[in-house]
Amino acid sequence: MPAAPPIGTCFRAILMLITLPLLPGTAGVRAEQASGSGGAPSVADVDPAAVDFFERRIRPVLVERCYSCHSADADPLQGGLRVDDAAAMRSGGDSGEVIAPGDPDSSLMLAALRYEGMEMPPDEPLPDDVIEDFQTWIRSGAAMPASSHAAPTSPEKTPGIDWDSARSFWAFQPPTRHDVSELPPPPQSFVDWAKAPLDRFVLARLQQHELHPNAPADKRVWLRRVTFDLIGLPPSPSEVRSFVSDASPLAKERVVERLLSSPQHAERWARLWLDVARYAEDQAHIVGNNDSLTYPNAYLYRDWVIRSLAEDLPYDQFVQRQLAADLMFPESPQEHVALGFIGLGPKYYRRNDLEVMADEWEDRVDTLTRGLLGLTVACARCHDHKYDPIPTSDYYALAGVFASTEMYNRPLDESVETKNGQAKKPQDAVHIIREGKPQDLQVMIRGDAKRLGQEVPRGFLTVLGEAEAAHFESGSGRKELAEAIVDADNPLAARVIVNRVWHQLIGTPLVATPSNFGSLGARPSHPQLLDDLAVRFMQHDWSLKWLQREIVLSATYGQNSGVDPDKAAKDPDNRFLWRMPRRRLSVEAYRDAILSVAGRLDPVIGGRSIDPSDVDSGRRTVYSEVSRLDLNPLLARFDFPDPNAHSPVRHETTTPLQKLFLLNSPFLLQHSQALADRIAAQASTRRARISVAYQWLFARQPDEEEMALAEAFLGGPGDELSADDVSGVATSGKPSEPDQRWVQLAQALLISNEMFMVD
Amino acid sequence: MLSPVSRRQWLRRSGAGFGAVGLLSALDAGGVLSAASAESSAGEGLHHRPRAKRVIFLFMNGAPSHVDTFDPKPMLAKHAGETPTGDEIAKKNRASGYMPSPFKFRAHGESGVVMSELFPQLAAHADDLCVVRSMHTDVPNHEPGLLLMQSGHQQPTRPCMGSWLSYGLGSENANLPSFIALSPGLPVVGPQLWSNAFLPGQHQGVEIDTNQTQVDKLIRNVRNPNLGPAEQRRQLDLLQSINDIHRRARPGEAALETHIRAMELAFEMQREASEAFDLERETLATREAYGDSEFGRSCLLGRRLLERGVRVVQVFYVKKNSKQPWDTHTKNNAGHEKLCADADRVTAALLADLKSRGMLEDTLVIWGGEFGRTPYAQVDKDKDPKNAGRDHHHTGFSMWLAGGGVRGGQMHGATDDFGMHAIENRVHVHDLHATVLHLMGIDHTRLTYRYSGRDFRLTDVHGRVVDDWFA
Repeated sequence: MPAAPPIGTCFRAILMLITLPLLPGTAGVRAEQASGSGGAPSVADVDPAAVDFFERRIRPVLVERCYSCHSADADPLQGGLRVDDAAAMRSGGDSGEVIAPGDPDSSLMLAALRYEGMEMPPDEPLPDDVIEDFQTWIRSGAAMPASSHAAPTSPEKTPGIDWDSARSFWAFQPPTRHDVSELPPPPQSFVDWAKAPLDRFVLARLQQHELHPNAPADKRVWLRRVTFDLIGLPPSPSEVRSFVSDASPLAKERVVERLLSSPQHAERWARLWLDVARYAEDQAHIVGNNDSLTYPNAYLYRDWVIRSLAEDLPYDQFVQRQLAADLMFPESPQEHVALGFIGLGPKYYRRNDLEVMADEWEDRVDTLTRGLLGLTVACARCHDHKYDPIPTSDYYALAGVFASTEMYNRPLDESVETKNGQAKKPQDAVHIIREGKPQDLQVMIRGDAKRLGQEVPRGFLTVLGEAEAAHFESGSGRKELAEAIVDADNPLAARVIVNRVWHQLIGTPLVATPSNFGSLGARPSHPQLLDDLAVRFMQHDWSLKWLQREIVLSATYGQNSGVDPDKAAKDPDNRFLWRMPRRRLSVEAYRDAILSVAGRLDPVIGGRSIDPSDVDSGRRTVYSEVSRLDLNPLLARFDFPDPNAHSPVRHETTTPLQKLFLLNSPFLLQHSQALADRIAAQASTRRARISVAYQWLFARQPDEEEMALAEAFLGGPGDELSADDVSGVATSGKPSEPDQRWVQLAQALLISNEMFMVD
Repeated sequence: MLSPVSRRQWLRRSGAGFGAVGLLSALDAGGVLSAASAESSAGEGLHHRPRAKRVIFLFMNGAPSHVDTFDPKPMLAKHAGETPTGDEIAKKNRASGYMPSPFKFRAHGESGVVMSELFPQLAAHADDLCVVRSMHTDVPNHEPGLLLMQSGHQQPTRPCMGSWLSYGLGSENANLPSFIALSPGLPVVGPQLWSNAFLPGQHQGVEIDTNQTQVDKLIRNVRNPNLGPAEQRRQLDLLQSINDIHRRARPGEAALETHIRAMELAFEMQREASEAFDLERETLATREAYGDSEFGRSCLLGRRLLERGVRVVQVFYVKKNSKQPWDTHTKNNAGHEKLCADADRVTAALLADLKSRGMLEDTLVIWGGEFGRTPYAQVDKDKDPKNAGRDHHHTGFSMWLAGGGVRGGQMHGATDDFGMHAIENRVHVHDLHATVLHLMGIDHTRLTYRYSGRDFRLTDVHGRVVDDWFA
C-alpha cells in the first residue's frame, strides 16, 4: 500500500515550536479580544518615523528569522501566529496577543526573544542589539503599516467559511429522485435487462463508457451468492434443487422473501452495524486485575441490534434509539439497552483528567460522524477542518453533547448492589448512558485541554443545518442530535447507510470511502443511482430489508462474475459494474459455513459471547467475544477490524498465517472430521459421497476431473468402499488410513478457494 | 496447467510472501516482487541509505531507576532525606526525601561510559553503548507511558513503531513475519503494544509467549498434529489441484493465485519457523551464556529471528507473575539488584553474540523502560521506610542504544544535579522514534498512512532526529 503523499497532511498539532505560555483563565478573554474589531492602526495613524524604524530595523529581522514559521506562506503556520501582517500580529497567536504596544515587559514576543520561558527563534537567540531594537519598537507603540494581505486567521476565531458555497458540494446537497426518463434509452438488446430503475442507472453509466453488463449468472451461482449475502450461510442441496427446478418468473422473489424472513438474516447483517459502532466488550488496557471498566453484558446491545434488524426497525428509529432511547422512552427501561452504541465506547485510563475525557469525546464524535454521516468531524478537534466546511466550533458543539452525557452501568435488576445509582460490579449492569450535567465546552486550542478558547453552545454541524445554526437546549441535547441526524433534510444519513448496504451486496461501494463523503473522500461512481436509492429508501420508511430486496433482485446483482478481457481493459476496477465482483467470505461467513456443512451449526439466536476458535462451540461467529484488549487471534488473523475505533471498511489480507490456521488448527481438523463423518452417513458409494460433499460445500456437482482427483487421492478409482470407508468412524481407536484420507479430502475441500469465494 | 511440483518450484523461486507486503516492495511494480530484489532495494532504504537493517528493543516493563543504573547523582547523598520541592511531584502523599543510590558508579572502557556496579558484564561493552541520560516523556503513568513509547500516542489506537517499520520496509524473509513481539505472558496494556491499529493486518506484531519452550506452542498452528510433512504435502497437492481447476475456470482473477501462493508459503513456513524458533539448535555454550530466564530465552530467540531476516523484535521484560517487574515502588534497591543481575547477563550475552556474528553493526539494540524512577524515595504511609521504593518519574530518565550505526562510547545529555529533570540535550520519546526510523532508512516525516481522512505518522507533528548519536 503506497503512502499517501505528504502534502496536505493534517496532523493533530497540539504543541508546535511556538507554545506561548498563557496565564490560566485568560484564554477566553484573549480570544474574544482577538476576534473583536481592534485592528492595527493604519499608516496614517502612526508616526512616519516609527514606521521607518520598523521597516529598517524590525521587518528585515522578521523576514529573515520569523517568516518561515509565522507568515501567510508558512506551512504549517506555527502557533497560529503571523508576523507578516499588522492586524494578524496584533491579534496574536494561539496563546493570545504577543505584543502589548508601549509595554515591552508585558509583551510575550519580547520574552520569547529573550529566551524567558520560551525560546524564539528556536535555533539561536537574536543578538542583544537586535532584541533592544524590538524593545524600542514596542515601547514606542509597535508601529507597523497595514498590509494588503488577507485577514488573519486563528483557529478559535469565526472561520471564513462561505456557507452557501460550502453547501453546494455534492454531499451537502439534498438527494433527489431521478426519473429514468432523464436517461438515454437503453439499447434494444438490454431493454429487458434494465427493468428496475436501479439497473437503468447502471446501464446508462456502462453505455457512457461503451460497456455492457455480463450475462446473468447460473442459477446455482446466483442462489449461493444471494444466500451468503442475505443470511451469511451456504444454501442447502434441497434449496438448490427447489430453486433450480422453479421455472416461475417469481422464483427469485420467493428465495429473497424466504431469506429476508429467516431468523439467520439479522445475525448476518448485525455485524455490519457492529463494525460501524466499534462494538466491544472491554477496554484496550487493563490495570492489574481490575475489571471495573469492562462490559461483561455488552451482548445485550448486540442482541438488540440483531432483534431490531430482524424486525426491520426503520433505520431512522434504529439510529435515534441508539442515541436517545432513554429520552424517547423514559418509561421503558428495556428499550435503553440500545444506548450501548455510546455506552460500550472506549473508556481510557485516568478518566478524571479533562485531557482524557476529551479523548473519549473524540471517540464519540468520531464514531457518530464517520459512522452515521460519513464525515471526519474529529479532524476539527484541533483546528478547523482543512478540507471540509467543519469549523472547530462545530466539533465542540457536538462534543458538548457527549460531555453532558455520562457512561452508566445501570443495575440489571433490584437485587443488585449499587453505588450512586450504578451497579457496583459490571457483571450486574447493562452498559448504557444517561444524562449528565448539561455543559457547553470551550474550544480547546490546538486540541490542548489546558488552553481554552471560546465557549460553544451544543448543536449540530452548521453545514447540515439551516442558515443559522440551531442549538440544542434540552438536557444534553442527545435527542435533538438524534433527530437532526435522521431528519429527512439531512443530505447524508440515508446516503451513507445506502452506500454501506450496497457495498455489502455488490462488493464495491458507490462511494469508495464509505465513512468519508467529504472533499477528500471519493465521489460517487453513480451519483444519480445513489440519490435515487437514498430517497426511495426514506420513502419506504427507511426499511433496510426493502433496500436489500431492491438490490439483490436487480439485474446488476444477477450478472455473472466472469472477467471479460475487453471490458477489463476499459474498466479494470469494474467501477461501472459490468460484472459482479467475485468476493471473499468474511471470517464470520467462512466460519459459519464450515459449521453449517459439518452439521455443527447451533441455531440459537442471541446470548452470551463465545470463543470462535473453541472447537466445541457451534454458535455463529457474530456471537464471538470482541475484545479491545486482546482481539481473538482467529478474528484478528482474518481481517476483523480493530474495535478500538469505528471501522469504515474491512481490509482484506491474504497471509501465510491465515493458511496455517486452515492447515493445522484444531478448529479445521475437528470440523473436517465431522464433515467426513457426515458424508459417510449420507451415501454409501465413494462417488456418491464425493458428490454430496460438492453439493453441500459448493452448491454444485463435481465434474469428472474433480471426481477423478478425489478418487485418486482416496486410493485409486473404483466405486467399491473398503470396510473402513463404510464404517466412516474408526473402529480400532486409531483412525484407519482410508478414514484419514476422507478427513484429509474433507479438509482440502473446506480450505479450498471455492469454499470461501463467492462467484 | 502447472504441475504441483513445478508450481512449488516456481513459488519457491519467487518467494513473495511477507517480503512483498512492505511499502518498499509495494513501490515495485505489481506487488509480485522477489525477496531478493526487495532486499537489494532495501539496501538503499526507503528514503535514504539505512545504517541499521533490523532492530531489537529490550523493553524493561515497569521503568528502571535511572539514578541507580546509568545516571549517577552524588548530590542525592549530600541531600539525602531532604524533601524535594516543586509542582512536578506527582504523588505528594507518598513522596519522601531524596534517596541516594547505594550502588557504586564507575567509568568503563576506553570511552569512560559510566554505569553502576549492577552491570558488571555489560560494562565490558561500554564502548558500544550510546547512553542517553536526557530522555523525557509526557506522563508518569504506565499505560500512557507504554503506549507513547511504543506507538507515539497515549491512547490505544495507533500503530506501533514495529508496525510502522514493517509497513515501511517489509521483511527480509518471505517465510517469517516482519515484526515479532516476545513476551512471557502479557505486559501491562497488552497487545496494543504491538498493534498495527489501522495499518493492514500483516503489520501486526506476531506475539510469542516465551513462557513456552516447545516450538509448536510458541507459534500457533505451526505444526499439524496428525500428518507428517510427506502426508501433508500429499494433501496439499490435492488441495492445489482442486484450486487449480477452480482457478482455470475463472481466468483474470488474480486473487485466486494469491491464495494458492499463500498456502504454499504457509507450508514452507512450517519448516522455516520450526527451525527458527527451536532454541535446542543453539550450542550449549550459547544457551548458557544467555541463561535460562524468560528474558534470556527471549533474547536468544530474538537473535535467531533477527538472523533470519525478521525486521523488528520487541522483547518485553515481564515475568509470569509480574506484568511490570521493574516497577519498584517498594524495595527499590533489592529489586534492582535482582532484576539487573538478570538483565546484565542477558544483555551482555546478546551484544557479544551479535558482535561475534558480525550482526551488531547493522542491528540496532535499544534498552530502556517507559520512564524512569524518582530520585526521591517513595514511602507509603503504612510501609516500613527501610523498604523504600522509588515512584514513577517522567521528566528525566536514561536509555541506551548500541549497534546499527550508533556511535558507541558516548553519554548523551544530562539531568540536573538531582536527576529530576533532563536539562541538557533533551530527548523526547518522539525524538527517539524519529531517530530510530532515520537509522532504518526512513524519514519520519514522510512515512505516512492515510486513515480517517488524514495522514498519520509515528511521530505525529513531533520528532527530531538526534544525529549526535550516529557513528
